[in-house]
Amino acid sequence: MAAMAALSSAVLVLSGCGGGSEAASSGSATSGEVNLIAYSGVWQDQYTAAVIEPFKAKYPDIKINYASKRSSAEMLSALQGQKNNPATDVAIMDNSVSTTGNKQGLFEKIDTDGVPNLANVQEKFRDKEGYGPVAMLDAVGLVYDTATFPEAPKSWKVLWDPAYAGKINVNAPPSLLGLSLTAITSKMEGEDYAQSIDSAVERLKEMAPGVQTFAPNPDEYQNVITGQTVLGLGQNARGQFYSDQSNKKMGVTFPEEGTVYQINTINLVKDAPHTAAAKTFVDYALSAEAQTAFAKALFYAPSVTNAELPADVKDRVVPTDGSLNIVPLDVEFLSSARDKWTDTWKRQIITK
Amino acid sequence: MTLLQTPVAPEKRSQARDEGKLEKATARRNRRTYLALLLPGLLGLLVSFVFPLAYMVRMSFNQGSPDGVIVETFTLDTYIQPLTDPYYWRVTLDTFQMGVTVGILCVLVSYPVALFLARSTSKWRGLLIAIAIAPLLTSAVVRTYGWMVILGTNGLINSSLDGLGLIDTPLKLTNNMTGVAIGLVEIFMPYAILAMISGFGRLSPQLEEAAGSLGASKFKVFTRVTLPLCLPGLLTAFLLVFVLSISTFITPRLLGGGSVQVLATEIYDQTTGLLNWPFAAALSVILLVLFGLIIAVYQRLTKKIGG
Repeated sequence: MAAMAALSSAVLVLSGCGGGSEAASSGSATSGEVNLIAYSGVWQDQYTAAVIEPFKAKYPDIKINYASKRSSAEMLSALQGQKNNPATDVAIMDNSVSTTGNKQGLFEKIDTDGVPNLANVQEKFRDKEGYGPVAMLDAVGLVYDTATFPEAPKSWKVLWDPAYAGKINVNAPPSLLGLSLTAITSKMEGEDYAQSIDSAVERLKEMAPGVQTFAPNPDEYQNVITGQTVLGLGQNARGQFYSDQSNKKMGVTFPEEGTVYQINTINLVKDAPHTAAAKTFVDYALSAEAQTAFAKALFYAPSVTNAELPADVKDRVVPTDGSLNIVPLDVEFLSSARDKWTDTWKRQIITK
Repeated sequence: MTLLQTPVAPEKRSQARDEGKLEKATARRNRRTYLALLLPGLLGLLVSFVFPLAYMVRMSFNQGSPDGVIVETFTLDTYIQPLTDPYYWRVTLDTFQMGVTVGILCVLVSYPVALFLARSTSKWRGLLIAIAIAPLLTSAVVRTYGWMVILGTNGLINSSLDGLGLIDTPLKLTNNMTGVAIGLVEIFMPYAILAMISGFGRLSPQLEEAAGSLGASKFKVFTRVTLPLCLPGLLTAFLLVFVLSISTFITPRLLGGGSVQVLATEIYDQTTGLLNWPFAAALSVILLVLFGLIIAVYQRLTKKIGG
């Protein structure tokens, strides 16, 4: 290893890059490549079409290599594996997971120096310590079959209705959907989830026998669209997208008891191989143009102040102005409670 | 020539003992050549198997934390926790039960096919064997999704039974162990058939004819001659399917619907969902030890049957 390091230093010195200046070690801001790690499936398709393709048109000399993962935890797992030799430049992931990445020293702080559009990100969506800001927001919704429910269910309590037993899908923790349902149920039961979830567990145990699957496949939306189930947990953004795709066979709603935000941050990997180009990409991702395009494509709420959404899109993305009843799920708390809650579901709630 | 003859020798040991002795002597003389030939393979094995395994074992003694941070240390907590927790004993037992159930069912349904193929003298035998193992050309993931379509509440089976008026409410054939077992049995059938055909070496039509000519009924010929001769092949097939079953992840994950918790799904959750790599590594080592024990028992059993 020492020999490798010595050899690398020698190469840098010989090539005139031995001074260690940031610009030299991180490459050009307008050429090269950016290795991005983000979600797979429809998210990847829509983000590629709405953000990456226009970026490539604007910066034709920057190539984007997209590594897709099914979940933020899988992304973090991949980044942990590369910690000593990072191969990724930018990561877009859930904030409960990126907080862990920040703690582990996997990410770099971001300022307006290389990312001027950071100034347009709403104050509340900027990280207090200066790490990756919020790139987009969504919230947990109740997904329903429109033939069974001509009007959207108003309460989460419909999940306990015996009339729909066996026709419900619930994503168990560690999925964020299951963790969110735990917090929502806890609130419905009048307890503080940070202190105890005992009452919520009892309620969820009553629901469990009516759950058809705790790990919906291919996913929570297709299960409803194909008629396998009539109710389930889902994310508003994807739910809205699939609602259109299925000709409104499926709908998604925010029940009155409240919901939980699902927040994605955009993060710069520490000691990334192409920092300058990566900052150019992060800056573009935070531009009004990219934020509006992605909101139109997949109904994620923008995090910047200068994105103007058409009325029909604005009505369908999660409100961030305080008008929606939100159950606050603290990311610091969640990162420590995730394994306990997952364990509780496996041991007490999930039925065989 | 010598090189070509020697690797075949152990298989023919029983038929040609003298020839075997001669080849063993040749093998001893050429040990250095063999080692040189084996070196690239051994190096490949070292890099692709031994190093990752050593890394995993080392990882299992580290300390994980709820927020995914791995603390480099040397602790036995990762082993003490699953070994003292009844939940993990249940998961291990469920894994074992799944392996045994799938192993037995797979052997039962594959045996007639394998027996037919082994005894067939048809000129189409090669083609028939190819057809029997053709499912291997399709990914297990695709076949599992196929089973999800067939076994689902609106799937082929439930719709047919409903159409015939035989059921009012759909049968729960998926998102449980029943679905996982059905899927795994079909997915592992080609492996079982192959293992059986190669293990039916001692099966001979002449022995069956001899038993028949001495007055044994067809049933007796089967139970006293055919079946005992097939036993090594059946045991090999069972072991193979058992080992594949207890380590499989995709089918329990997809057809289990989150309700089937086995060691492989638990390891996956700990690795990618909860980021507790040390604990996942410890569970993997436990699974590996379980494999070792089963193989040791199997070897004793086959020796007993063979001897």
